[in-house]
Amino acid sequence: MKTTYLFPNRLKMLSGVLFVISFVVLTALFVFDAYDQFKIKTTVFALFDDAVIGDPVYFGFTKNNISDELLMAIVLCSGIVFAFAKEKPEDEMVATIRLHSLAWATIANYGILLFCYIFIYGLTFLTVLMVAMFSQLLIFIVLFRYKMYRFYNSQQYEE
Amino acid sequence: MKNSIKVQRAIHNLTQQDLAEKIGVSRQTINALEAGKYVPSTVLSLKLAKLFSKTVNEIFELEDGD
Repeated sequence: MKTTYLFPNRLKMLSGVLFVISFVVLTALFVFDAYDQFKIKTTVFALFDDAVIGDPVYFGFTKNNISDELLMAIVLCSGIVFAFAKEKPEDEMVATIRLHSLAWATIANYGILLFCYIFIYGLTFLTVLMVAMFSQLLIFIVLFRYKMYRFYNSQQYEE
Repeated sequence: MKNSIKVQRAIHNLTQQDLAEKIGVSRQTINALEAGKYVPSTVLSLKLAKLFSKTVNEIFELEDGD
């Protein structure tokens, strides 16, 4: 059984390190509200920008601090590659574990989202939407890594 | 589902690692198979049967509740 949609194993280590670092930086910048200290203000192309001040822009150019966009791009790309990189011994049982983790991550993620949707109001809800950008990926990675850890350390009873 | 992989492995004098390498899975997968924690795909079952020179039915057996 060959899986064709997985990334090569050699990218796993690199993307894992990149994901952890960028995720920690993203969280830290968000918690300490420090995006403004790392401003990379530039002109960007926008499909749509309903500018808080000024006229809205459709299919045009607008000014924006892109430090958070860059960081989110790194988190998502490295996260996807890390989550879907081949394991060293990639076989059908690993594929099954991956599928289970993905299913449970999806269920847990939408459970949490529904809970937050019902019980969180006001501006804090924007934080929920922000976290929802990568929460499923994060839950999947944690769950899959834990299950693979259990798998690699499963008891060996030889004769 | 029950299986007699452990018995067959003993008959052929293979370790879990040997068997894993011969059919191209990880050692942990063989371990899970023997413990009955994992039901293999048809391809893997056929590979095991071929290696042990048995039919799939001789290695795998349905249980109540399957």
